[in-house]
Amino acid sequence: MKPLSVSALAVLGAISRSVRYGFDIMDATGLPSGTVYPVLGRLERDGYVRSKWESQGIAQREKRPPRRYYEITAAGARALAESAEHYRTLGARLGISPRRTPTTK
Amino acid sequence: MMGDELSRDARAVYDRCMRIVHVARVVVPERRRDDWTREWSGELWYRALLLDRSRGSDRHAVRRLVVRTMGVFPHALWTLTDEMRIDPMLQDLKYAIRGIVKRPAFAALVVATLALGIGANTAMFSIVHSVLLRPLPYERPDALVYMYGGFKQNSQAMVSPPDYLDYRDRNSVFSSLAGRTVYGTAIITGSDEPERVQSSIATANFFSTLGVKPYRGRVFLPEEERGDHAVAILSYGLWQRRYAGDARIIGTTIPIDGRPHTVIGIMPPLLDRTMDVQIWRPIPFGLDEMSVRRFHFLRLVGRLKPGVTIAQAQRHMDAIARDLAAQYPENESWHLNLVPYRDVVIGGVRPVLLVLLGAVGVVLLIACGNVASLLLARASARSGEMAVRTALGAGRSRLVRQLLTESLLLGVTAGIAGLVLGHYLLVAVRAVGDGMLPRLAEVEIDGTVLAFTFGVSLLTSLVFGAAPALHAARSDVAAMMKSLGKASTTRSAVSTRDVLVVVQVALSFVLLIGAGLLVRSLWRLQDVQTGFDPSRLVAASVSLPQTKYKTRDAEVRFWDQVFERVRAIPGVESVAATTLFPLRGGGDTYFYIEGQPPATDADRMNATPAIATEDYFTTMRIPLIAGRVFNAADRSDGAGVMIVSDALARRLFPGASALGKRLVVDFGKPFVGEIVGVVGDVRIYGQANDAPEMMYFTGRQPNAGWGMGFGNLATRVRGDPDAIVSQLRAVVRSLDPDVPLSAIQTVESILYDSVAAPRFRTQLLVGFAGVALILAVVGLYGMLAYSVTQRSREMGIRMALGARPTAVFRMVVRQGMMLVVVGIVLGVIGAIAATRLLAAQLFAVTPRDPAVFVVVATALTMAGLAACIVPARRATKADPIAALRLE
Repeated sequence: MKPLSVSALAVLGAISRSVRYGFDIMDATGLPSGTVYPVLGRLERDGYVRSKWESQGIAQREKRPPRRYYEITAAGARALAESAEHYRTLGARLGISPRRTPTTK
Repeated sequence: MMGDELSRDARAVYDRCMRIVHVARVVVPERRRDDWTREWSGELWYRALLLDRSRGSDRHAVRRLVVRTMGVFPHALWTLTDEMRIDPMLQDLKYAIRGIVKRPAFAALVVATLALGIGANTAMFSIVHSVLLRPLPYERPDALVYMYGGFKQNSQAMVSPPDYLDYRDRNSVFSSLAGRTVYGTAIITGSDEPERVQSSIATANFFSTLGVKPYRGRVFLPEEERGDHAVAILSYGLWQRRYAGDARIIGTTIPIDGRPHTVIGIMPPLLDRTMDVQIWRPIPFGLDEMSVRRFHFLRLVGRLKPGVTIAQAQRHMDAIARDLAAQYPENESWHLNLVPYRDVVIGGVRPVLLVLLGAVGVVLLIACGNVASLLLARASARSGEMAVRTALGAGRSRLVRQLLTESLLLGVTAGIAGLVLGHYLLVAVRAVGDGMLPRLAEVEIDGTVLAFTFGVSLLTSLVFGAAPALHAARSDVAAMMKSLGKASTTRSAVSTRDVLVVVQVALSFVLLIGAGLLVRSLWRLQDVQTGFDPSRLVAASVSLPQTKYKTRDAEVRFWDQVFERVRAIPGVESVAATTLFPLRGGGDTYFYIEGQPPATDADRMNATPAIATEDYFTTMRIPLIAGRVFNAADRSDGAGVMIVSDALARRLFPGASALGKRLVVDFGKPFVGEIVGVVGDVRIYGQANDAPEMMYFTGRQPNAGWGMGFGNLATRVRGDPDAIVSQLRAVVRSLDPDVPLSAIQTVESILYDSVAAPRFRTQLLVGFAGVALILAVVGLYGMLAYSVTQRSREMGIRMALGARPTAVFRMVVRQGMMLVVVGIVLGVIGAIAATRLLAAQLFAVTPRDPAVFVVVATALTMAGLAACIVPARRATKADPIAALRLE
């Protein structure tokens, strides 16, 4: 499998930590909107995340339009683990010990 | 639609952001647009809400939100590229390549068929492009105008030097007006073998008018038109060939016509491709023969001033011509006819080339038909695969796109193969067609041709790919799934293939008719009696340098010596000479019957004069009809004698004998000759042209003809004519090493070459028609063979139920021949409409020649029958048991 790109890894990592909405993902990853949304589109197309609309009920209670949220799929979780491992070994091979790596859980 | 729960400020921020979203929205593919907008709107509203909640919201947070909204643009672009599906296209391509590799024979057949069509089209288009479409290789060629002189409309005579000077100096429509002689020759002597080359005498501004710069050295100076300057410009070809491209030749002198000339320049190679001239010399306007208004020998070419049309120029030149006519009586009714230079260069080949281009286009159409038929057959065979893919979720458009990708891949591969084939076809055409087409040397595959071939490949792919793709698009999945594993096909596919076969037969019929008409026309042409016997006859041109052979007597002495020595060569039957050999020249002069001078210039009669030696008529085997030929008694001191051709004798003295009558002939000075003989007519201008009315003179009498300084030696041999060529050369060289012997050729080959152009186009069209016929027959065969395979079960059942093999055989043949007959009927209609285009190329054959139609229809029927027999025989071999077992 081809490892995920670094931004895809960050986005997928955020979603796996239950950060579900586009703008929240920007906040969590620090990536600009012009990066986050195409990455979300790609991840969805490749089957690593699936998107849903939040229920009309919640939106209506708050009197706002419904938001779209993203969930990680099993394939996404696998890809995340493998890619994280890939970057870890890459870092180790290069003699870089990352202080913090995106984790699956 | 939402309740207004946002503060006014937050609402303003939201609106501002949504305006940005709406701008980016137009990029988003329609299918995703609503979802995409809703997602952004949902997030933005939520964020605006957050702004409200964190009261005292700073401008910083607002700006941040707006900046983040800018992300809609990359997002929108991403959805667009994602929708274009670069990946699935690659997938289609991979799949297509895999399909080709898996069925290499099928792919090879398709590519070869198409490459044949595309290659022929590439070659033909290159020729049409170079000859007809591409501008002439001169500066602003559209402004160049060619001028013919004449007393009548459409006359193509030349212009006299004094007239030229008047036209040049009085006109205000040409920025430059130049002239030159055509058909001149010169003899170069010096270090090498003496050589006769084409030479032209040009005005000083000739090259600048065309916009041609010298390759080396300079062009003529205006002052070199005055007086008699012995300077010369060489063509690139002559310079390379005779002087090994040595630039030091400039400034040195070379003997031309026995007189030293200083070489002042070399012309660029492009001029070799457009004009057959090796030596250029300046026109000596000062000389006596340059000042006679009725000596017309200049061709004029002018460059129009910007903004002047050719019609305006024509009116302007007409006005000058009227002034000249008022001034000089010999210019009465004389005027110029202006023609675009391009039309003169291209000549009459335009219709021929367009017919040939149409013909190759038809060949390509037929090839497309075959390939479409093949693909349809394969589509039927692949209907199971398609059904499975549909069932697995492939959309209809996805299937069509995939089939078109396959077609495009095949088409482009064929295009590349066709380009290679086209290149070699062009090499062949250039080798075979030399001299038969103007501008042939310029023909090449350039960017335009590449674009044409690429376009044709794409178009071809669409044409042959459309049928199977549409077939796939309207397939019924359920029916296909049901038929999976059984070899059967939908009716519609078969009927499409039937239509393809009918169209192919009709198109090839039209091409075959065209080819048949040209072949018959060529046969008629070659059957025409020339009036002499060309077998075992050798012709050679001899030029005597004027500086050395100044008198008639000197010329005659030289010729007598030649005859004497040639007769001594073993194997020579007889030898003679003439100034006007068949297919090597022409021209005419005025004459009248003695005592009946013409009342006006318009009443003057003309005929074609030639000098012939005593043995000319016997050597050529031109029959003597009455009287005698020339003999040694016809001397300079005797009475003037002449021989006329049968046609002239009949015109002048219908029902009476021409013998003893006397004619007065204009050779500058009048020559009075008594007709002592009448000989048969000779088609001097080739088999396609009528025999001119001829007058023959003997070179021994002064004022008879223009002398024998240039003549054609005619030698009839007993054995192989090629064997004596070297001996002829040796004879002439032994007499005078400065006399060049050129254009040595057997007369049979001269005649053969004279119909080279019609033969060339006939061969081309026959080739195209042959390819079309093969493709159509293969198409018919393929369709029938496929149909028989599909119906083998039906055949088996029929035979199990008692049908005799002959009945099955007849059924299949009838199925095929129905299509052939319908195709031929349509072809007859098409041919009657199309062959009118050929009318101008035909000689003694009408475009609706019944014999050609009958022969072609019969041949096509036989070919069709042959294509039916194999599949029909296979049908009779269908095994009833196997068929029943399958049920």
